[in-house]
Amino acid sequence: MKDTLIGGSGRAARDTEDTLAAGRTAPANPGPGTDTDATALRRRRRVELTRPWLLLAPALIVLAGLLLWPLVQVGKLSLQDYEVKFGGGVGTFTGFDHYADLLTSGLLWKTVLPNTVFFAVACVGLTIALGTLVALLLNRLGTTWRLICSVAILAAWAMPAVTGTYVWIWLFQPQDGLFSQLAGAAGLIDPETTNWFTERLPFYAIATVNVVHHGFPFVAITVLAGLLTIPKELYEAGMIDGANAWQRFWKITVPTIKPVFLVVTILSTIWDFKVFTQIFVMPGGNGSNPDVYNLGVFSYIEAFAKNDYGAGSAAAVLLTLLLLAITVVYIRTLFRQGEEEL
Amino acid sequence: MKRRVIAAGIALTLGLTATACGEGSGDEGAATDGKGKTLTVWIMEGTNPDARPFFKEAAAAFKKKTGANIKVEYQQWATAQKKFTTAIEGGADQVPDVAEVGTTWVPQFAETGALVDVTGKVEKSGLSGDLVEGLKDAGTLEGKQYGMPWYAGVRSIVYRKDLFEKHKIKPPTNWKELTAAAKTLKEKEPDKVAFPVAGGAEMFATAFIWGAGGELATEKGGKWKSAINSPKSVEGIEYYTGLATEEKVSPAKVNTWTEKEVGDAWNKGQISMAVGGNWTPKAIVEANPDLKGKLGAIPIPGQDGGMSRSFLGGSYLSTFNTENKDLAWEFVKLLTTGEFAAKWAQQTNYFPGQNSELEKVAAKKDPLVEPFAKQMLEAGATVPKTKAYGEIQASQVVTGMVQSILSGKATVQEAADKAAKGMDAIFAKGE
Repeated sequence: MKDTLIGGSGRAARDTEDTLAAGRTAPANPGPGTDTDATALRRRRRVELTRPWLLLAPALIVLAGLLLWPLVQVGKLSLQDYEVKFGGGVGTFTGFDHYADLLTSGLLWKTVLPNTVFFAVACVGLTIALGTLVALLLNRLGTTWRLICSVAILAAWAMPAVTGTYVWIWLFQPQDGLFSQLAGAAGLIDPETTNWFTERLPFYAIATVNVVHHGFPFVAITVLAGLLTIPKELYEAGMIDGANAWQRFWKITVPTIKPVFLVVTILSTIWDFKVFTQIFVMPGGNGSNPDVYNLGVFSYIEAFAKNDYGAGSAAAVLLTLLLLAITVVYIRTLFRQGEEEL
Repeated sequence: MKRRVIAAGIALTLGLTATACGEGSGDEGAATDGKGKTLTVWIMEGTNPDARPFFKEAAAAFKKKTGANIKVEYQQWATAQKKFTTAIEGGADQVPDVAEVGTTWVPQFAETGALVDVTGKVEKSGLSGDLVEGLKDAGTLEGKQYGMPWYAGVRSIVYRKDLFEKHKIKPPTNWKELTAAAKTLKEKEPDKVAFPVAGGAEMFATAFIWGAGGELATEKGGKWKSAINSPKSVEGIEYYTGLATEEKVSPAKVNTWTEKEVGDAWNKGQISMAVGGNWTPKAIVEANPDLKGKLGAIPIPGQDGGMSRSFLGGSYLSTFNTENKDLAWEFVKLLTTGEFAAKWAQQTNYFPGQNSELEKVAAKKDPLVEPFAKQMLEAGATVPKTKAYGEIQASQVVTGMVQSILSGKATVQEAADKAAKGMDAIFAKGE
């Protein structure tokens, strides 16, 4: 629906007859013409100012209710000692005590943070690399095979995290799992004395395989969508100039669909930093093996096992800040690079 | 077209509002009408293989008696504690009227003020003398009883009678014999786990801590202090973990097993002997009919004979502080006494919470029930009765300790010291 003001002037500009008609009726209007113009201008300005906010309001209210409010609550909780009571708990303000405890804890620096960060870096790197390779493959396939392969990888994506994790646990099950038996048969391990879930490195290696398997389809499909927009002429020109496949990828593909890589990297980083289910469901991942804590599990154990909601919230806030910092730095570097190239 | 969309939107909004109103007035109607009341009941899933027919029958009996309806909502053990906590925070509108509450949760829930103290009601009903002492004690804090003991369970040792006979092994009566039996089983039945030292099964380990004369924690003047690193406790932990690390009767895959995985392995016929609850023999035979008649049970042997104490756990039926609490108590009484209590115990293979009913069970002389009854009556143990211990359990202090020993990351003493420190930190926080 168009605003009457804009609609009126547009019509007047198009149609002289209308303008004349308007001119004829104008003197009949009460009050001097200049005054009407000023009011109209003010109204117009007011509408220009308020309309975007009015239109945005429903979305903003929903976002604030669903995202901002819980975030504020978590922030508030992290400054309190909270005790559950029937019909509503009681919080005692403790200032930054929980943060002080958290940041001076050896567990955080020696176990929790390294686990979280190295795991996320490995997962993001491998997810992007594998996803891109699969996208390049899909791009070269004919319609039928592309469809078959897409459906196959989408199945991996559609699998719920818990189900997927159980499949991987099952495959790596000590002694009885497929991989354990293969490794045992190859003489790499003694299946009776090897339990991959109790040590940090194999535990996270399995978790990485799981997360990458679950995450690469999204990257593949998104990058494929990007690849399809690159004009063929660019590659033809590259080939005429004698660029090989490697050079064409790095000099044509990557720069052209850089924004796509930007988006998938940021999203993967956020997802892989806050992985929880896949760790928690694994044997020993639910808290009985502190060596494999990540920030998500650590925060959960503090809040919901020890009923120390304040400490749990502080860990959650730390995770949020960490993600914000990484995302901001990452976006800024990428945009700066983009500007320099332009 | 656009107008139609808007109209549809308005209609939809009005419809939703109307529904909301309808629900609201419905609730109010229920509150004022005595006969039309509905009790919400939370019951744990999995204790009774099929609880639905049982509760259909109980609801019908209750309706006949009081005219009120019963709405049963089934909960998962793994997530129920969080769900309860959330509901308690929400207050009277969100908690159930009656709920099955694990005995170790009672201190935590009672402290929030959500549970009804029913001491007076129990006495008035003449039930107080007939309750199984250990179980009654588990839900009584500072003289106040927060619900009725409903059923109880205890862990003893379940073994393959056929394999014992085949290899001429006698049921062990002390720890030395237990080791010997496990070693023979490992040698003769190499494809099976001789005696799982399950790293994720807290109540497997505690039996040996108590068996050596140790304690998890001790109370002095209202303050709890860990005792898990005392010489006696360490001796028990050393024996139990040694079965895996020294005697090798439990392979590495078991290091991360919980009781669920032990149960799965039983069902697949992969276990020769294991610590197991009184509810397990029936469940195993149901899942694996080949094992019918091939299972035996004995109390967990003591270090030098006798019995090791084993965790006596169970469930309470508790009433929450809602406006229906008197009606709710009637339902609790119906379920925890007489016919329905006996039927529940029989269907679930757990023990009833009343002495009179328990004696009836013991009198049947079932070889797969009697050893457990003996263990329960003579060698049951409870974990420290404080909210803090619930938190210690949830943060897996004991299982974490056992796992770090099994994976060789710590010696028994180091791991026990670390667990003691962890426990004391949580005890200290609660004061």
